[in-house]
Amino acid sequence: MPTITLNHITKIEGHAKLTLGIEENKVTVCQLGATEGARYFEGIVVGRRYNEANELTSRICGICSCAHVIAAITAIENAIGFTPSEQTIKLRELLTLAERIRSHATHLYFLALPDYLGYESAIAMAPKYKKELQRALNMMKVGNHMIKTLAARDLHPVSAAVGGWLKLPSQDDMDAMGKALDGIKKDAEDTCKLFFSLKYPDFQTEGLFFSLKSEKEYAMLSGNFCSGDRCHAPEQYMNHIAEFHQEYSNANYATEDGKRFFVGAIARLNNNSKFLSLNAQKMLKLSKIKLPSQNPFHNTHAQAVELVHSIDHALEICKTLKIKDEKIPQIPIKAGRGVGAIEVPRGTLWHEYVVDEHGVITKANIITPTAQNLYNAQEDIRCFIPGIVHKTKEQIILDVEKLIRSYDPCFSCSAHFLEVEWV
Amino acid sequence: MKALYVFGNEHLQEDAMARKVAELLRGKVNIVHCRSPDDLLEADESVITILDVVKGAEKVMVITDVSRLKTGNMMSLHDFDLGFFLNLMQQLGQGKTIKIIGIPAEGNPERIAKEVERWL
Repeated sequence: MPTITLNHITKIEGHAKLTLGIEENKVTVCQLGATEGARYFEGIVVGRRYNEANELTSRICGICSCAHVIAAITAIENAIGFTPSEQTIKLRELLTLAERIRSHATHLYFLALPDYLGYESAIAMAPKYKKELQRALNMMKVGNHMIKTLAARDLHPVSAAVGGWLKLPSQDDMDAMGKALDGIKKDAEDTCKLFFSLKYPDFQTEGLFFSLKSEKEYAMLSGNFCSGDRCHAPEQYMNHIAEFHQEYSNANYATEDGKRFFVGAIARLNNNSKFLSLNAQKMLKLSKIKLPSQNPFHNTHAQAVELVHSIDHALEICKTLKIKDEKIPQIPIKAGRGVGAIEVPRGTLWHEYVVDEHGVITKANIITPTAQNLYNAQEDIRCFIPGIVHKTKEQIILDVEKLIRSYDPCFSCSAHFLEVEWV
Repeated sequence: MKALYVFGNEHLQEDAMARKVAELLRGKVNIVHCRSPDDLLEADESVITILDVVKGAEKVMVITDVSRLKTGNMMSLHDFDLGFFLNLMQQLGQGKTIKIIGIPAEGNPERIAKEVERWL
């Protein structure tokens, strides 16, 4: 079979290229890379004030701009030694959950589902699957509305800031968000039932499944970075996560202590399932997935379960949080280094900043979920091909694209600036 | 007051006209600046009126047949553009009428605003 080159892998975030060489049923070349240009964001924030990092880095991606805002704020607050209030943290959780609801609903219905139902796109599916697509739009609408309510804009939010919130939602806003969340609970449960009914390839990755893990909750904004009992404190991440480059990709690749790994919804489920909401636990049981799952295709199931959990968790915050009129305090600046590790729709997101005594950023490092997943996805493809090599070239391409899309990658965000040493 | 959903980027010369024209219509319609097509999810009106620049247009035009809008395959969520979204809304038969007031990228904003007002 000749070399297969997929210049634009469809229905993923951003643009990626895969080069596959197969000779006598063996994979001779397997190169998965991002073809997006370098983004230079880490360079852009160096020299800027500590409180500008969140606004600047939110531009990394329009899809997960809230994620970058919260990760940047967390890292900066850790660097300057500021502890936010409980209300601030709860509202950050709510914003993160809203973005997760919007992102999962969009990925599941508009990018993953057409694959499994044999359609080119959601528009082609629409005449037959109106009810299902309307369900996705309902959930996206609620996610969008919550982000706008909390952060003033549905993209590149501005209200979340270092130290707190520039504008707080009213108690009426909280009630309205709760009511809207109530209205999509059934949509999320129906989503689980739909995605559990689809047929997924039986494939096991050799990669480890890493996510934040906590002893008290389904970890999202805090916790250690774990795969089972193998855990690292976030501030030690650079001792374990190594980034490297390949000449065929503009995005970095990553390993954990030299091994490939997976981040994302199924990793979170593997590590934290006992903290799922009761409804989400019921759905998980319905899925018949045995945890820990080693199958990356189960990431789709996991996103569906997380939709139910995220709605329940967000609802709980809306019902229980009594909004107090908190102003952002004067923050005494001190020099330091801080790491922000949070769970965003596609996996663990890392932001690290070093701030000097004047509050100026002197170093920045950002590792996106896709950069962490890229090496594992590439090696999964290498292992996956022998099992499907008897199929036609078109079927192989579709199966491989399904595998890549199960990772829900975002290549726009993962394209990194390569470090160059000038001699 | 009737809502006018305005698309465009004020920082790009070729995409800024709808924003300029909208400012001149303020007070006559409720201006809703849209940052992404998702914003239309919150449109409650039975007739959704959109103001946007049409590439290559030399005069103001009204488009009600959204199938005329070019849509590529949705390769990523970044391709979730206005054309894709409006086609999806139509396919889902949400009972909404879409009216796009398309304007040229260049010209006199006051003159264009007067023409747009006729179509509101």
